[in-house]
Amino acid sequence: MLDVGRHPDIDLMAYSEVEKVEGESGAFKATIRRKARYVEEDRCTGCGACKEKCPTVLPDAFNMGLGTRKAIYSWFAQGIPSTHTIDPAHCRQLNGKKCGICQKVCQANAVNFDQKDRIVELDVGAIVVASGYKVFDPSQIPEYQYRQIPNVITAIEFERLLSASGPTAGHLHRPSDLLVEAEMEALEKDVKKSEKALDKFEQKYGQASAAFYDAYQKGAYEGDEDRGKWAEKYVAHLALVEPLDALKREAEGFDVAKRLAFVQCVGSRDFRFYPFCSGYCCMHSIKEAIIANEHERETTSVIFGMDIRAVGKGFEEYKIRGGNQSGITYVRGRVAEITEGPQRNPVVTYEDTRERKVISRDFDLVILATACAPSEGVERLAEILGIERNRFGFFKTGTSQSLDTTRPGIFACGCAHGPMDIPESVAQASGAAARAAQIVTAASMRKAS
Amino acid sequence: MRGKKPQADELRIGVFICDCGSNIAGHLDCSSVTEYASTLPGVAYAKENLYTCSEAGIGEIQKGIKEQKLNRVVVASCSPRTHQPLFQNSCAAAELNPYLFEMVNIRDQCSWVHMEEREDATQKAKDLVRMGVSKAAFLEPQQDIEASLIPRVLVIGGGVAGLSAAGSLAAMGLDVVLVEKEVEAGGLLRRINRLAPHGEKASERVLEMLLSIKARPNATLYLGSRVEDVSGYIGNFEITIRPEGGEAVREKVGCIVVATGAVPLKPEGLYRYDGTRVVTQMELEERLAAGALEAQRVVMIQCVGARSPEREYCSRICCQTAVKNARFIKEQNPEAHVHILYRDMQMYGTENEQMLCDARGEGVRFDVFSPDQPPVVQEGKVEFYQPLTGEMVGIPCDLVVLSTPLVPRDDAQALSQLLRVPVDQNGFFLEAHAKLRPLDFATDGIFVCGSARYPANVQEAVSQGLGASSRIATILFKDKLITSAIVAEIDPETCVGCMGCMEMCPYEAITYLPEKNICEVNTVLCKGCGCCAATCPSQSATLRGFKPEQLMAQIRAV
Amino acid sequence: MSKDVLVIGGGIAGIQASLDLAEMGIHVYLVESLPSIGGKMAQLDKTFPTNDCAI
Repeated sequence: MLDVGRHPDIDLMAYSEVEKVEGESGAFKATIRRKARYVEEDRCTGCGACKEKCPTVLPDAFNMGLGTRKAIYSWFAQGIPSTHTIDPAHCRQLNGKKCGICQKVCQANAVNFDQKDRIVELDVGAIVVASGYKVFDPSQIPEYQYRQIPNVITAIEFERLLSASGPTAGHLHRPSDLLVEAEMEALEKDVKKSEKALDKFEQKYGQASAAFYDAYQKGAYEGDEDRGKWAEKYVAHLALVEPLDALKREAEGFDVAKRLAFVQCVGSRDFRFYPFCSGYCCMHSIKEAIIANEHERETTSVIFGMDIRAVGKGFEEYKIRGGNQSGITYVRGRVAEITEGPQRNPVVTYEDTRERKVISRDFDLVILATACAPSEGVERLAEILGIERNRFGFFKTGTSQSLDTTRPGIFACGCAHGPMDIPESVAQASGAAARAAQIVTAASMRKAS
Repeated sequence: MRGKKPQADELRIGVFICDCGSNIAGHLDCSSVTEYASTLPGVAYAKENLYTCSEAGIGEIQKGIKEQKLNRVVVASCSPRTHQPLFQNSCAAAELNPYLFEMVNIRDQCSWVHMEEREDATQKAKDLVRMGVSKAAFLEPQQDIEASLIPRVLVIGGGVAGLSAAGSLAAMGLDVVLVEKEVEAGGLLRRINRLAPHGEKASERVLEMLLSIKARPNATLYLGSRVEDVSGYIGNFEITIRPEGGEAVREKVGCIVVATGAVPLKPEGLYRYDGTRVVTQMELEERLAAGALEAQRVVMIQCVGARSPEREYCSRICCQTAVKNARFIKEQNPEAHVHILYRDMQMYGTENEQMLCDARGEGVRFDVFSPDQPPVVQEGKVEFYQPLTGEMVGIPCDLVVLSTPLVPRDDAQALSQLLRVPVDQNGFFLEAHAKLRPLDFATDGIFVCGSARYPANVQEAVSQGLGASSRIATILFKDKLITSAIVAEIDPETCVGCMGCMEMCPYEAITYLPEKNICEVNTVLCKGCGCCAATCPSQSATLRGFKPEQLMAQIRAV
Repeated sequence: MSKDVLVIGGGIAGIQASLDLAEMGIHVYLVESLPSIGGKMAQLDKTFPTNDCAI
């Protein structure tokens, strides 16, 4: 990734979009919109002083909304380029409010609120489409209640929970517990504020609020307006403290998630959504279960799948190792339903096809192995590039030249033309590079002769 | 004399301390570190920069080299992983040898990890700067290593992967030498009937690929020939090719592609295999290619000799092959019964899963079995335990087809030794990195594609062949090979030829010279990992830029 | 005729394609819609089957 940023032969145009492609193989003209970052790319050094001071806190899309970022942000810590970007939808300054703090703290003078989108035209001989995929949104599946049950999450959300650089520093805290903790934190802040207000009265009248309130209720201080306010504050205070205490009691029982369920084919091999197999998800679940077990040796996982497709070099061996050493059980069957049981534990109902029984089991956390879907905006990109899509929605490629799209000079690799895992994507990317190189080197050979 | 410290009066070290805005300066006192640096022995100049990596910061370094006549540069800032190349190139642009540059990481190691401890962080930054300066005093100028490149490629194996690689290389203008041990090219495709998913004839595909290569003047084919000997290294391999019963031919190439494929396992002793009533999937293909199939009732059994204790891996393509053939049988004879007994249907991706769905719709039957209760082939039927009903079920049949895995070729091991590249525990060629470098070997200049690496279907083999050609073009499109000067060297005076370093070297970069009884480093292959230097019992092997005296100077300064 | 190549998408596939082309001496324009390249793989913690770090 780093090499891309500093290679003299790569013009990296991040935060940019292709708008138009004209011409033909060997001589395309591409129009690129370079979206305004409101930060000058050649000045920003990525030091991050701006985002420390930015007052606007937002959910972090890179961490799947599990953490937060600011309105001026870097996509992720090691991102290339390291240039920060202002989110125009949420920046106070860009929305007519008084702010501009980032501009003041930036010692490199990189913040520029007047930056505009730029249009760039490129002459290229060939095009490689590596536009990837979109992770399927499982809230479309009513029976799995994703978003209704907090402890039902997606594989990529789980990945962020497992990551040492993620929002929980790699500890498997359950999202429901995180919600309670966030609620407690907010309540504690309010309690502190109201304690301050009560303090003032207590000092003024030299009496504890509880004792005062006892007397007040018995009818003392009738008509005393100031003490009336005190009483009001005290009632409001109790209304904060009681739920906080309840939450604290609840939080005492919190533990990291140790009983995990992985549900395969969520949106894949499902005629309501995508009929195809997403290829990598079985292995992804196995990997996540193995890593979770490495973090906490008591962790056990059940992987529910119709087939466990460990189809790659070393994959079957990895699957077996997961079963033998990492507490994974593989259950053949499709999960019918997920509900919520006591302690906010998700309950998985499935038919064990080997035992011929319908079983309901509760877990600490359920992870949905979501489908690899055609990427956002794939229709528009197909239109811009003038290439066809296949019946599954991905870019259509040939049978004998398996990386050629339907328009000469345009090649596809990786998940842009179908689900696949990383080594396959990497091998194809090199393959597509070769196809593109054949065209542009042929052009230069013709020129030379 | 190697590594001799220059005289103190000729040392002019420049130290540049980076604030990184407030990223470093916010958590430690950069001015005091700069002041301290200027007092260190050999330091002629110390400067604090707001951002050393910015244009202004780089300008300061270059100005320092020119005006202050600096002959060593130390930058104390962030990670060398991200910024060392930038600073080194900036030194080179100012005509200071880039190997006279040293980097100290006071961001990750001071300001980030000691965020709330300003004084300690400052002290640690001073310590690290002192260490960097001490090492810098011992740095020596180095020249990048250059080697010539022969723009010609050897492709071993004329199956679909090899043909794809060769065709692509030739189309990119590189000379190609293709060696195939059979008299005809095409590999396994010559025995296969039709291709998934559209039923194209395999023989036609081979012919098409072969013709396009033959049409290229820059491609040479050696059919019925073997690679007998390989010597040399990236850019300059010498190859001996032996045609069957003929004179040996010598070729010089810059890179090599291993595309030797794999073969289907012959399931001797499994499921009453006899080659007539019980056949392999490949034998079925041959029958289908030859003409109509007589069998009316066919049972296919998956994972025969695979995913078992003696052969743990899944062979990836047998499920799709079985479904393809089952559908072909049904297409030829809709009355035929085809029943597939499987463990997991490995129909990954879009087209494969669609094929599975279509097969079900066309009446192909599927039943799962468990490996601890495998099906039993009997006279005229196959019996298996059906978990869904909990009963033993017998399927009458007149042909049993066994799906066996692709296994490495018998001669794969010998080739791996000839090329000095590794194979994995299953005997397939082992790539440099399972995820990120699937087509490279750890040894430079040699690449792998197709089923020689791991079973691949036709489309995958084609893409991988293209991919290997791209990897090679990244090397051979250059005029010469330039690599970092940070490599190991072995002192011939003190080396005793124990060969301990050779065992440790992951890149096959060390050779033993029997006539002198010493080991020698091939600097083109060496990646500067330092394994040999750490191993050498006589300290004869050292790593340039990390020699004992350089490291000791750094450590003594702690 | 142009000798440059446009790569659309800065995930692992786009990165690999760009690096290969650039190493061949072919000039590449790499267009990514997000603020940084890295794609989905940058979001992964470790990768199978070697459990290596993703970045």
